[in-house]
Amino acid sequence: MKRILISIFLLISAIGVMADENITFQASAPKQVVQGQPFQVTYIVNHRAGDITPPEFVDFEYLAGPYTSTSQSSTFVNGQFTSTYQQQYTYTLRPDKQGTFTLGAATIKVGSKQYTSNGLRITVLPPDESVQASGNSNKKSNASSAGKTSATTGNGDIFIRTIASKTTLHEQEVLTLSYKLYVTGMDIRGFTEKTQIPEFTGFLKQELDQKDIQFELEHYNNRNYQVATIYQTLLYPQHAGDIEIESGSFEAIILLPNTHRRSFFDDAYIQATKMLKAPGITIHAKSLPAGKPADFSGAVGRFSMTQSISETELTTNDAVTIKLDLSGAGNMKLIKTPAVDWPEGFEPYDPKVTNNFQTSSSGVSGSKSIEYLAIARNSGDYTIPSITFSYYDTQESQYKTLQTPEYTLHVKKGVGDASTGNQGTMANYTQKEDIKELGTDIRYIYTGDLRHTNTNGRLKFNSLLFHLLFLIPLAIAIAIFIIFRKRIKENADQTKVRYRKANKVAQRRLKAASRMLQANDKEHFYEEIEKASFTYLSDRLSIPTADLSKDNIADILRHKGIDDNLIHDVLDVLSTAEFARYAPSSDHQMQEMFNTTTQLINNLENQKL
Amino acid sequence: MKLLLIILSSLFADANAQYAAGNYAEAVSLYEQQLELEQTPAAEIYYNLGNAYFKQEELAQAILCYERCLRLAPSMRDAKHNLAFAQSRIQDNIQDTNTFFIRNWLISFRNLMSESEWIVLSVVCFFLLLAMALLFALSREPHLRKTSFYIALVALIVTFIGVINAGRLHHRDSIREEAIITQGVVNAKSSPDRSGTDLFTIHEGTKVNIKEELGEWCRITVGNYVGWIKLSNLERI
Repeated sequence: MKRILISIFLLISAIGVMADENITFQASAPKQVVQGQPFQVTYIVNHRAGDITPPEFVDFEYLAGPYTSTSQSSTFVNGQFTSTYQQQYTYTLRPDKQGTFTLGAATIKVGSKQYTSNGLRITVLPPDESVQASGNSNKKSNASSAGKTSATTGNGDIFIRTIASKTTLHEQEVLTLSYKLYVTGMDIRGFTEKTQIPEFTGFLKQELDQKDIQFELEHYNNRNYQVATIYQTLLYPQHAGDIEIESGSFEAIILLPNTHRRSFFDDAYIQATKMLKAPGITIHAKSLPAGKPADFSGAVGRFSMTQSISETELTTNDAVTIKLDLSGAGNMKLIKTPAVDWPEGFEPYDPKVTNNFQTSSSGVSGSKSIEYLAIARNSGDYTIPSITFSYYDTQESQYKTLQTPEYTLHVKKGVGDASTGNQGTMANYTQKEDIKELGTDIRYIYTGDLRHTNTNGRLKFNSLLFHLLFLIPLAIAIAIFIIFRKRIKENADQTKVRYRKANKVAQRRLKAASRMLQANDKEHFYEEIEKASFTYLSDRLSIPTADLSKDNIADILRHKGIDDNLIHDVLDVLSTAEFARYAPSSDHQMQEMFNTTTQLINNLENQKL
Repeated sequence: MKLLLIILSSLFADANAQYAAGNYAEAVSLYEQQLELEQTPAAEIYYNLGNAYFKQEELAQAILCYERCLRLAPSMRDAKHNLAFAQSRIQDNIQDTNTFFIRNWLISFRNLMSESEWIVLSVVCFFLLLAMALLFALSREPHLRKTSFYIALVALIVTFIGVINAGRLHHRDSIREEAIITQGVVNAKSSPDRSGTDLFTIHEGTKVNIKEELGEWCRITVGNYVGWIKLSNLERI
């Protein structure tokens, strides 16, 4: 089905081409004509045709026509036979009014079909003033005062004008500079090698391709000239200020009518060279206004931007491409490639830039497409910040910033394939990376609450508080020391007294015991005996009675260097007293106990304790 | 007093908001206002003011503020970091080759804490010293007496170190010897007058020591250099 459709389409298009190629019907005439001078309008048809119906010559005076001529040629090239046929109708007209007029279309009948030609626009220029004014002297002064170098020979005139499309513009904005050759009354053959085009310092120059020089009629300074653009270039001012373009010079080869022609065999024209100066011109370049965006890099003109990203879901070691298309008109060649701030974890490559510029006399336009390629090395979610491109808009006289949206990329961890050596990337993770320092800056301000109660600055060396902080504790410490010392001393005094009075107390208790002995109060007697021994030992040893027991007395006494027999006696008395208190015993035993105890205390009294 | 505190804390918040919005000039004026109002300003105000100056690329003022902040809070790590960062941006690279390394250690050890903090440390140690001395004097237990003796000895040493460092810091702050050059470029002269020979050039942000004052001139030392410069070219810390 598809094939059939294609073949039908091809067939139809072939027929169309045939039909188009078959018959063309075209009108041609000079674009500019001079009032009062006849000119010719020609209609050409490439097929044998019938009568022509010319348009109505409303704005032009019909003089003659149509003159018909036919021509035919056949060629046989590389086995291909081509034949061309031309039928030509020529009318002679004379413009009588100045202005721009439209000549309507003519129609012609070829076979049974009507064909219509194109319409024509013809500008009628005023007649040459110098034709009427035969003198050239005033013309010459006129020309020089207009700021150009002219070469006037006989009735002829030749000069070059320097024409800038703008003389006041912003830096980096484009201007077209043309050298136009104005010629009348002579023929020009060409230029010699002595032609000098200025350097255009201060500008970036981009020459325009020179097509064939085509002359047109132009009315300038009351004369009609043959005018041709002989040189054209685009200029971009590179800095602000008045930039002067020096004058250029062209040496033209011209043909002059031979005024000294003596015989018919002499040449009717003589060839001469003429130095023509293209006047200099000053361009006022304004600096770009303040408030340049941070990423502004000198782009001036009008631009638009489109962008696309290849994919946003990828696995590690996949490549991602961001494509950016900048199109517009301006100093396209100077545009710097905007940078993409790839996040860490991507391995970026140099962007690939494809330029597609068209250069015309109105400047450079076209598009620049940039492909940014990066390979994701680590998994995770990443955000690629928007790419910005700033330029100065010459039409709206302000800076503009184009911006791509932010892209969020999700990178999945690639499936590890041991057989293909994908372990290599896994092994990378074992190599620890130091934290990369991307930049240094001061740390951020303190944003917490202020501690108004801080003592900083209040506590000063040598201040009263400082001294008090040392003196008060010292005083307290000294006071504590004195009080404790005193108490210890008092305690010591007390023990001394008790030491001295130990015998007395013991004797008093023994006396009480003897009373019990007489009263035969056995229980109280032994109690008194025990107490007498204990209190005596306690006072003599300066150990509280509570800390004394039968168990430690021996140790303490031995420590004091007391005789073992005496210690034995002490222990004997104490244990007997304790035992006898609750056991039945005779009076004799009580008397003996009393004597032993008295003897013991006396013995201890003589010992140094 | 309470009202003033409220005003001050709202000033601080306003200034921080201006800083966050990038209006550093406004932030500077608000912080300065606050410093004028407060009798004992917090170190953080100086720190934030220093940051605001730094953002305006006024290095000398920023360094001055960081130094003042560190006088009040020597252990503030952010201020230390920012001071080092600001100092890395100044033009002069002063290396004091004359000072003995132990002296540098001692100075940096002293700068670990502020004057008040040293005093607090020494007072606490003095308490400990007294307590241990009492224990030593009043106890009869030999073991306890031995322990208390050693603790008291250590406390005594720490107390002395604290008092000496506090005294040194107090001395430094009271004579205000250290200063920061605020003028872009200053030529130090051989004598305190205009006609003196130019000896050396120092730049904005460099820390110098003022040794002597004479009229509107002062004799400074910086590294191994000695010269006279005008008092208006520097600001004391």
